[in-house]
Amino acid sequence: MNQNQDPPVRLKGVGDSLWVSVDPTLPVEQLKTELNKPFERLKHLAINARVIIDTGTEDQDSHDRLIADLGSYLKAQFQVGHVTKPTPPKRSVNRNRIRQQDMGNAWHHYRNDGLIIAGRVRSGQKIQARKHLVILGDLNPGAEVIAGGDIIILGCLQGKASAGQPDNEDAIIMALEFRPTQIQIGGFVAAGIAGSSGSYPEFASVENSAIVVDDYKKENPFRRLAWPEVR
Amino acid sequence: MDGKVIVVTSGKGGVGKTTITASLGAALAVQGKRVAIVDMDIGLRNLDVVMGLENRIVFNIVDIIKGKCKIKQAAIKDRRIDNLYLIPASQSDDKDVIKPENMVWLTNKLRKEFDVTLLDCPAGIEQGFKNSIAAADEALVVCTPEVSAVRDADRIIGLLYAQSITPKLIVNRIVPKMVENGDMLSHEDVVDVLSIDLIGLIEMDEKVVVATNTGTPLILQDDSKAGMALQRIALRLDGHPDLPVENPMIQKSFWKKIGSKFSRKN
Repeated sequence: MNQNQDPPVRLKGVGDSLWVSVDPTLPVEQLKTELNKPFERLKHLAINARVIIDTGTEDQDSHDRLIADLGSYLKAQFQVGHVTKPTPPKRSVNRNRIRQQDMGNAWHHYRNDGLIIAGRVRSGQKIQARKHLVILGDLNPGAEVIAGGDIIILGCLQGKASAGQPDNEDAIIMALEFRPTQIQIGGFVAAGIAGSSGSYPEFASVENSAIVVDDYKKENPFRRLAWPEVR
Repeated sequence: MDGKVIVVTSGKGGVGKTTITASLGAALAVQGKRVAIVDMDIGLRNLDVVMGLENRIVFNIVDIIKGKCKIKQAAIKDRRIDNLYLIPASQSDDKDVIKPENMVWLTNKLRKEFDVTLLDCPAGIEQGFKNSIAAADEALVVCTPEVSAVRDADRIIGLLYAQSITPKLIVNRIVPKMVENGDMLSHEDVVDVLSIDLIGLIEMDEKVVVATNTGTPLILQDDSKAGMALQRIALRLDGHPDLPVENPMIQKSFWKKIGSKFSRKN
């Protein structure tokens, strides 16, 4: 019933491609003539466009021939680019959520991309980490560390630290003694504050488009999380 | 037994490398060692002036390496102190005429002749520095209690560790009064950042200026605080590693306490 009311061919833009819904029960020739109308209206926009042909059924594989047929017709007639069938919806989203809640088994699901180093990073040395960076030691003035995620320094931070590079503004920089020359989080830059006491652990994060430094013990940003989660 | 080669370096210029090298060399020679001091600052030599030997230079280190003379011809013997020799740098050549392998060759020869070879490293981390550390067994890093000097020393220490040399630290030009007032970094602050073994603390001393200008060895001057400190460093380098490091700050506060006890109460 429902299908009869719908037009045999519908076209809409989805992401960077054109989503074409067709009625697979109709003969191929009729579908081709129906396809002409919307694609003629598109004119040059159809050239090299990605096209997804949706037959509207769960079992997409049964219409492979129809999709190939219509695809080659569209390529010949309107010079469209790729023609594919819709990809099945991702189930992994749900599985991810289960994993997040099942932190007891986290060992089996996650591999850590963090870099943990011990020792003193001296002036002129530069350390780069793809994700989180943990330094069991000090970062001297003139030294530089860059991380894709958080930077945690179990010691004195006196050099330059860039967390969340290039664009992760949720990253934090934490140090037991927080006296940096300069810090960067994502695209934000802050010069070190000379007046910082550095006697208690502090962390820097981005709040309202500005870098804010807080006492880590008092303002622990992760205390509010309902569930332990992977960072 | 082969002698050891010690490089005196700092990164930053003007912190007292040359003066310390000359004085340490003199102190070690007075203690009975055969000492060679090599000026590595090709093109900007100073060590000969500081040691008062500039008018006796005939050959220099570049001549040795180019094979124009023997080591014995280039080494200048100090007239006041026995067993102290200087191999001067060339003033006219460029640093790049010496390569690290040349220095390894030279120091291997010097090891056979001398108990201690001191290399006076130029400032910076370029060719001259690389030449100096290529041949060294030990390193002394000179640092003044200034933020800029500490940073450069830090870089140097990293580079020395990369050459698997474990450096020792000399903090030079400490002004106890300024440290007391909080206007100067204390040596604890410096050691804290650099975190290497301390081998000596040298107080600011006006006699150093006189000694370097007149070319007289600092350690031969009476009651020079810096000279005394350098003699103690020489002892630590030579068989007395456990000689405690004297802290100019503690000394001051001790006398101050005594002084305050006896001073009139206003």
